[in-house]
Amino acid sequence: MTAAAAIEKSSFVLLQLGRRRFGLSAAIVTELAPPVKLHVFAHQTPMVAGVIVRRGRVIPVYDVTPVLVGKKLPERRFYLVASRNIEGQEELSAIPVDGECELVNAELFPTPEDSPKYVAGVLAIGEETIEILDFEKLVRTSTASPAPRPVELGPFA
Amino acid sequence: MTISSPEQKPVRRGRASESAILFTISGLPFAIASSAVHEIRSADSLSGSATEIGQSVVPKVKHLVHRGNRSYFVVNGCAHFGLKAARPTLVLILRDSPVAILVDKIERMADISAPHALPLAFEGEERRWYRGLSYTDDVIVPVVNPAGFLTRHELRALEEALQASHAEMPAELSGTVAR
Repeated sequence: MTAAAAIEKSSFVLLQLGRRRFGLSAAIVTELAPPVKLHVFAHQTPMVAGVIVRRGRVIPVYDVTPVLVGKKLPERRFYLVASRNIEGQEELSAIPVDGECELVNAELFPTPEDSPKYVAGVLAIGEETIEILDFEKLVRTSTASPAPRPVELGPFA
Repeated sequence: MTISSPEQKPVRRGRASESAILFTISGLPFAIASSAVHEIRSADSLSGSATEIGQSVVPKVKHLVHRGNRSYFVVNGCAHFGLKAARPTLVLILRDSPVAILVDKIERMADISAPHALPLAFEGEERRWYRGLSYTDDVIVPVVNPAGFLTRHELRALEEALQASHAEMPAELSGTVAR
């Protein structure tokens, strides 16, 4: 491993959600997007809140805030854009964050036993312990309840 | 990593366009290629020619409507897309399948950009519902797949329900499952 690769491996982007901070591996983060419009349409994929458009690309947005801090999306949010490998293809995805992010180099410690599965490890920064997120496992974590089914079937009924 | 400036490039730049009908169901936007729609009628105007279908296999279909010498299964858009119930006022009668869609409102016709592929992150029924996502007037709209409203299995079940209930069945509906 080169020195640069070693540094990248221990580099993390710290993001703010509510009062808590979490981290993502810097290797998968591509940008922090400004509060652009979230486009919402009908779909059935859990966790996906909608899409944003960045540089001509349509990027799905995962609403991870209920999982991580137990509340709804912030009103005015930035989007942290990261890459995922889905079925062998690289695709960008975004998660809403409350504000600016910070890039840090730090040693990753093992995940405590009682941590959720989406926690890949922890950083100790000052007196703060910051959970590093496994992006793939996080977006597969569902807390959403099924959408209500319609009972009224229109004017023909 | 940097904070990016607000986007400046519209996603439609350089892409081919197609004529589409923009409509809403339960307040959410949709688009369908104009060429896929044979006729738009008010729901009230068709209620006289509607036949109730007694079946529970495909709950989103309750009626069959007759237009000219053809018949169409009426799909409730809210039920199809899993949306909150609304009061649909219009029916989109499709051109190449025996399907009509109940929708809330037609917004307008427009030239939209050729659809972008649905991101792989979307992994539910929407992969069958949509041809992709298009960008028009700063709004992303899903472009519906006209063949995605009823599966072959659903069409077959509806035809069998019709036959079982001895409903009148126009000849041209026979074999519509082989699309």
